[in-house]
Amino acid sequence: MFDWPTFLESLPLMAQALVVTLQTSLVGLAFGFVIGIAVASMRLSPTPLLRRLGGAYIFVFRGVPLLVQLLFIYYLLPRIGLPNIPPIGAAIIGLALASGAYIAEIFRGGFLAIPHGQLEAANLLGLSPWQTLTRIKVPQAIRLTLPALVNEMILLIKASSLVSVVGLADLTRVAQNLAASNYLFLQTYLVLALFYCLINIPLAGLGSLLERRLGRSA
Amino acid sequence: MMFDVSIITDRVEPILHGLLVTFQTWFAGVLIGLVLGLGIAVLQLFGGRWLRIPLRMFIEVIRATPFLVLLFLLYYGGPEFGLSLEPITAGILGMGVYGSVYFAEIFRGGFQSVPKGHVEAAECLGMGRWQCIWRVQLPQMLVIILPALVNMITILCKETAVLSIITIPELTMVLTGIGSETFAFVETLLVLCIGYLILIELSSRLGLWLERRVGRFLVRS
Amino acid sequence: MNDVTTPILTLRNVGKRFGTNQVLKGVDLDVQRSEVVCLIGPSGSGKSTLLRSMAFLEEYDEGEIHINGQLLGWQSISPRRRASRSRLNQVRSSLGMVFQQFNLWPHMSALGNVCEALVRVKGLTRSDAERKGRAMLDKVGLAEKADAFPAQLSGGQQQRVAIARALAMEPSLMLFDEPTSALDPELVGEVLQVMKQLAADGMTMVVVTHEMGFAAQVADTVAFLDGGHIVAKGAPRDIFHDTEHPRLQQFLQNYLDRNAFWQDLKETPA
Repeated sequence: MFDWPTFLESLPLMAQALVVTLQTSLVGLAFGFVIGIAVASMRLSPTPLLRRLGGAYIFVFRGVPLLVQLLFIYYLLPRIGLPNIPPIGAAIIGLALASGAYIAEIFRGGFLAIPHGQLEAANLLGLSPWQTLTRIKVPQAIRLTLPALVNEMILLIKASSLVSVVGLADLTRVAQNLAASNYLFLQTYLVLALFYCLINIPLAGLGSLLERRLGRSA
Repeated sequence: MMFDVSIITDRVEPILHGLLVTFQTWFAGVLIGLVLGLGIAVLQLFGGRWLRIPLRMFIEVIRATPFLVLLFLLYYGGPEFGLSLEPITAGILGMGVYGSVYFAEIFRGGFQSVPKGHVEAAECLGMGRWQCIWRVQLPQMLVIILPALVNMITILCKETAVLSIITIPELTMVLTGIGSETFAFVETLLVLCIGYLILIELSSRLGLWLERRVGRFLVRS
Repeated sequence: MNDVTTPILTLRNVGKRFGTNQVLKGVDLDVQRSEVVCLIGPSGSGKSTLLRSMAFLEEYDEGEIHINGQLLGWQSISPRRRASRSRLNQVRSSLGMVFQQFNLWPHMSALGNVCEALVRVKGLTRSDAERKGRAMLDKVGLAEKADAFPAQLSGGQQQRVAIARALAMEPSLMLFDEPTSALDPELVGEVLQVMKQLAADGMTMVVVTHEMGFAAQVADTVAFLDGGHIVAKGAPRDIFHDTEHPRLQQFLQNYLDRNAFWQDLKETPA
């Protein structure tokens, strides 16, 4: 049976943890976004070395499980002289590096979908490469890939359930602690799943709405 | 930072055993996921509204829930609804259920990609629904959905790392175990990364090879 | 059941609506053994829907269709209850269908397409099915293409394989849904040739077509549909030459004008 008093008691803690999960995911996504644009630009650059580096980045950060990447950060960053990173910093670094690789692939598709003539036009009008990237390419690529980016956000929020390995008290970790003390495993984890569903299902709805919009206008 | 090879070479046997467990859980999970996913897709398409709506909800809920949370529910929550599972069974089942909803979406798209007339032709020749799915629709859509299937299978390969959290002795668990025992985190984590990269690369190569084989006779003019 | 006087196919008061749109309105039609019936009419007249109803690819919701005396698709008419799939398949087994888009299965060779239902539905052994399949391909003039995949065949060849696939099941009635409409003009002839041969061999056929020449030459009966009704029906001569019906006259005039237009183009020096 559902134990309401215990549930209500745990709510403030879970709400706090929800904020941590959202903060970590959103900040991670924001940095991942910047990394993604940079890596996608490298992948499409005329310089072979940059293309290789971009490709290698994607290969490594998409190929290695996020959990292993987080373990790397947790165990190895202190060893290379960065001992005082707080857990939330380590978690954000981990999520940003990994999502950067996925976002780079999304953006590569977005950049390739922009008609070449537009870039020539920007060039002829005297826009610098940086201006072309930020004023012409990125805004269009975002619009074209918005459904995929929303989907990436869902994946990232789900992936953030692993950040407890770097010691961060996110939703999953807090639920684990609660379950360990109240012994209501099923109830606590169902509530945990419900929290994720409450964020992700509306996001998924937004994603498919955007997809339909985009499909119509395209 | 020195790289001490003996940390690894002294423990080849447990590492290989961990790799074996990774393979086992991966394959079994993929297999269950494919079968369940195909079942869900077929029921969604042909099962009428009373099946379609609950299945849709099931898909949305599982897709919104992290794999780790699903594992916790099965492994720690399971006994409360009479499902006491060994870690490895819970892990495989969790992989299967988690993968099934993604596979179901892939199959659903595949079914929709087969022209309606090809199904009508089979119907007019008296073929049953299952014969039509098995002989006409599945082989035809395979070319279209194979890349997505392979992609999902490699994603599930990476998800096996999460199984270490519910104490399944797969590759990640074994190597981090060696790491905390010897404090040789550089060696163990590097080997772990390389191991997964090789697995992922092999499976996507295999996927490409399959795509070429299957696509050879299915290229539409 | 095989005596000459009972029709193979009877339609009584057949109606079909899509939402609020009544596509077929009380169609009556009898098709006798060895008769060739061509359905003509403007697009949207319901002729394809009518033909597809005869295979229960569209569920007609009024009236009755009987094939060889068996009710098609429905278990009972009032209240309307759908027949079981096995019952439907049993009634359907006496008809063969040929589609506008051929609908060959792209992952099987020509022979594979022809043999599939022989093995899976009729339960023939693989070697018996292949023998029969090759004979059928030979009949449509494609014996040497048995191992080719649909993507390697021209549209005309694909349609002939599709005809062989339907014929292999030994239907007593063949339905053709605009079998040449998806073909390049120069490939139309080979398909019509196969169909003419079929008619000459005594096959019962219902053909939806825009090929007036074929209808005039081969059909025993031509039925003109407009607005979901059969508004004129008769021997080709009556339909094409002696009709008084204004809609039919207009339809035929349009057809002639279009061809005359092409004729003019051909004669205009470049």
